[in-house]
Amino acid sequence: MAAVNQDNTLVVATTTAPSNSKQSQPRAKTVDSQSVLKRLQSELMALMMSGDSGISAFPEEDNIFCWKGTIIGSKDTVFEGTEYRLSLTFPNDYPFKPPKVKFETLCFHPNVDLVGNICLDILQDKWSSAYDVRTILLSIQSLLGEPNISSPLNNQAAQLWSNQDDYRKMVEKLYKSPKA
Amino acid sequence: MVSDSITNASIHAAPNNNNNARDVGKKKRARSAKLKQCKLDVRREQWLSQGAVKNKDYKAEQNGVVEELKDRNNHRPFGNLGMRPGGGENDGSIHHHHHHDIDLDSNSPNSLTSSVLGSNYSETNFTGSSSSSSSSSGGCCSGNITEDDEGGGDDGCLDDWEAVADALAANEKPKNPCLESPPEHDPIAQSGSPQETTIGSDAPSFGVENSKPQCTRTIPKASGNGLAWRPDDAFRPQSLPNLAKQVSLPNSNRKHYGCGGVPWAYSGVVSAPSSCPICYEDLDFTDTSFLPCLCGFRLCLFCHKRILEEDSRCPGCRKPYEHEPVEAEASVHGGSLTFRLPRSCSLITRS
Repeated sequence: MAAVNQDNTLVVATTTAPSNSKQSQPRAKTVDSQSVLKRLQSELMALMMSGDSGISAFPEEDNIFCWKGTIIGSKDTVFEGTEYRLSLTFPNDYPFKPPKVKFETLCFHPNVDLVGNICLDILQDKWSSAYDVRTILLSIQSLLGEPNISSPLNNQAAQLWSNQDDYRKMVEKLYKSPKA
Repeated sequence: MVSDSITNASIHAAPNNNNNARDVGKKKRARSAKLKQCKLDVRREQWLSQGAVKNKDYKAEQNGVVEELKDRNNHRPFGNLGMRPGGGENDGSIHHHHHHDIDLDSNSPNSLTSSVLGSNYSETNFTGSSSSSSSSSGGCCSGNITEDDEGGGDDGCLDDWEAVADALAANEKPKNPCLESPPEHDPIAQSGSPQETTIGSDAPSFGVENSKPQCTRTIPKASGNGLAWRPDDAFRPQSLPNLAKQVSLPNSNRKHYGCGGVPWAYSGVVSAPSSCPICYEDLDFTDTSFLPCLCGFRLCLFCHKRILEEDSRCPGCRKPYEHEPVEAEASVHGGSLTFRLPRSCSLITRS
């Protein structure tokens, strides 16, 4: 990788680039984590300024690579009025790799297992570095109301989904407010 | 005498258009107001050299000037321009002017090396001006249209021209219905008589400059007093907001910037984000002129390289990146920048 970098800077140098300090920076681990830091800080700022209803997230006290998020169930879904806490753990190569997102509140949902793992394509193979915390939380929020029944992690929830009234009762029964 | 040398020089400067120039020269000799014409000629050449600075807006600028002059000739043939061809027949003077314009049109693109795009346009310009001058009302109309385009395409020089207009103490209201552009063109049309003496003294230098294929020296002169950045300026700070007006005029965009490049790519440049959506670092000029994917998703070269090392798919559309990135900006000043992008990226791809 270092050799490639050198080649790259060489090309830039021979073609007399006006100013391209970015390309001549060595790709070191410190630079990486600094850029992740910058990205996460910018995301936090954007998230706080956006004022999206029903989602929020904030880093843990000592570690900006671990965030706690909350999602409020959308209106006109069986999850209306419920609030879910999530944890987001960002890898060092974020955003080129997706963060690990888990429900910390028990969520009775076809695509969420009993320990809170989420089966969502954009958090796995369909991840794009253009996604951010905000789009992740909005995606999970919409996943709550529109589950993918065909590949469930929670079979019981998948079977019950067809009966929305019973499903709502089940959600209320299992739900314990994260603040309680 | 001075004027003779000027016209000769301009004719010499266009070896490709000798026939055209000779015709024009014949007609000129038959006319009486030759001296005044040549002063106007000089005046226009000065304009054209500025048009060459702008390079891309060259056509609209030139056309606008020409149309404007013609328009004024129609309405006040002997007033401001101070040309009185003996009998003063209206039609004759217009006709004369018209051929003079053609002379300039065909001449200047060849003499100005910096106007790369000019040679294509000279033909369209030719027909445009001839058709519009044959019917005077049509001339007005097309003049307005081109001015509209020009106003949308290049707003940065407006300050400059307003300053010029102030300096010349404009003695009449702009009668053109176009709201923005008239101050840009009024100064030349008006300044014909009051400034003619000073222009005349400048004439030899301009003529010489135009006859040599090196008009680039006039660039700092033309753009030095303009404080505003032009949207295509290489040194324009990326933090400056882009002009939304350019997006709202897709036709003019296509006309001005579509040649030699991809029209939609230019509109992408206008709406380009100021920071990379991946790393949130500010995009520099190289980054904003870099369009790696047809979907229009932009990112900095650094993040692009990083993605190529991993899954090599565009974050915007998830499709695999093509090996040769699309060149976004057709009109980068100087060749170094345009060549650098593909080369460095092909290197990355090989890694």
